[in-house]
Amino acid sequence: MHPIVVTITSGKGGVGKTTCAANTGCALALLQKKVVVIDGDIGLRNLDIVMGLENRIVYDSVDVIEGRCRLRQALIRDKRAPELYLLPTAQTRDKTAISPQQMVQLCDELRKEFDFIIIDSPAGIEQGFHTCLAPANRVLIVTNPEVSSVRDSDRVIGLVESQEKGPAHLIINRLVKSRVKRQEMLSMEDIVEVLSTEVIGVVPEDENILMSTNRGHPVALNGQTPAAMAFHDIARRLSGEDVPLQVQQSTSFIKRLFGRG
Amino acid sequence: MNALKQLFKGRNSADTAKQRLRFVLIHDRAEIPPGVLDLIKDDIIAVISRRLPIDRSSVSVNIDVAGEENRLLVDIPLLAESRRRPDGAKRQL
Ligand SMILES: Nc1ncnc2c1ncn2[C@@H]1O[C@H](COP(=O)(O)OP(=O)(O)OP(=O)(O)O)[C@@H](O)[C@H]1O
Ligand SMILES: [Mg+2]
Repeated sequence: MHPIVVTITSGKGGVGKTTCAANTGCALALLQKKVVVIDGDIGLRNLDIVMGLENRIVYDSVDVIEGRCRLRQALIRDKRAPELYLLPTAQTRDKTAISPQQMVQLCDELRKEFDFIIIDSPAGIEQGFHTCLAPANRVLIVTNPEVSSVRDSDRVIGLVESQEKGPAHLIINRLVKSRVKRQEMLSMEDIVEVLSTEVIGVVPEDENILMSTNRGHPVALNGQTPAAMAFHDIARRLSGEDVPLQVQQSTSFIKRLFGRG
Repeated sequence: MNALKQLFKGRNSADTAKQRLRFVLIHDRAEIPPGVLDLIKDDIIAVISRRLPIDRSSVSVNIDVAGEENRLLVDIPLLAESRRRPDGAKRQL
């Protein structure tokens, strides 16, 4: 299998790109893939703290680009999975610190060593999006089942296509099955129909995400939580497996079922 | 950083989040990547332990923010033997 660069982006901010990048990276690594997750949000680094690797940073991607260290020195190994690495970004620089061309070169270097390169991109209309899009083989657009997020996704799907990086696929994040049933929330089918874009995974609203982020321990690392299971399905699909799409119940709903919440 | 993790064990996750944020914000503001402190710690241990027996596992290097000023706080616990003279004789009290 050729190395795959997966860029995870969105139209609207705050829809779960970083959460999806961290967990998809962990899930792929647990499938015995060699994985590096790149924080593409220069100046607003977050992937490090979501993954719980913040205290290990010495160098970052901008240091690599500007020749202050070798690529290998900037990679942080996550010992909780067989072959999982983080390439953190600079916290005190702006989006122009890495050009699209330089990002392509960086990924070409990483392709020699890794099966999957996952890029946590800024939202699609922000500066820095084009830098993260440039090296992509696959583009995943994170969408919440909510009108403004779906609308903004449409713009980004268009941008991705205009850069000949399409077709993009959707990760529908924070879906609550019970609310879809009560017709209070857009369903996966609704979103697919409106955007005419394929879905690679549906991640339920899961209250474990907050606690796992508090601890810097992504749910996909060892969890059987609803979101963790969805991320494992996404990882298997990215690896080429044919996994039927299924929508997990949200945690709070499961808890209600068993009378614990 | 394992000591830090041990400390967090058993605590609730909001508390953990707060501690991690405090730590990361100090480093963001000082523009010193956290991992650099671990490297400095290794350097200090190497230098000091050439002259004095120290408790390597308890050495701590932290950034302390006091008003406008950032300072490096280094704490190096000495082992009991260091109370002896270099020539091996016990210190007279
Ligand atoms: N499936 C989920 N269930 C519950 N909470 C979630 C889920 N996905 C994401 N969140 C929460 O949503 C918030 C935003 O997530 P995240 O930081 O991953 O978004 P983002 O798209 O990377 O944001 P930005 O655009 O600022 O980079 C976080 O508090 C995260 O914990
Ligand atoms: Mg983010």
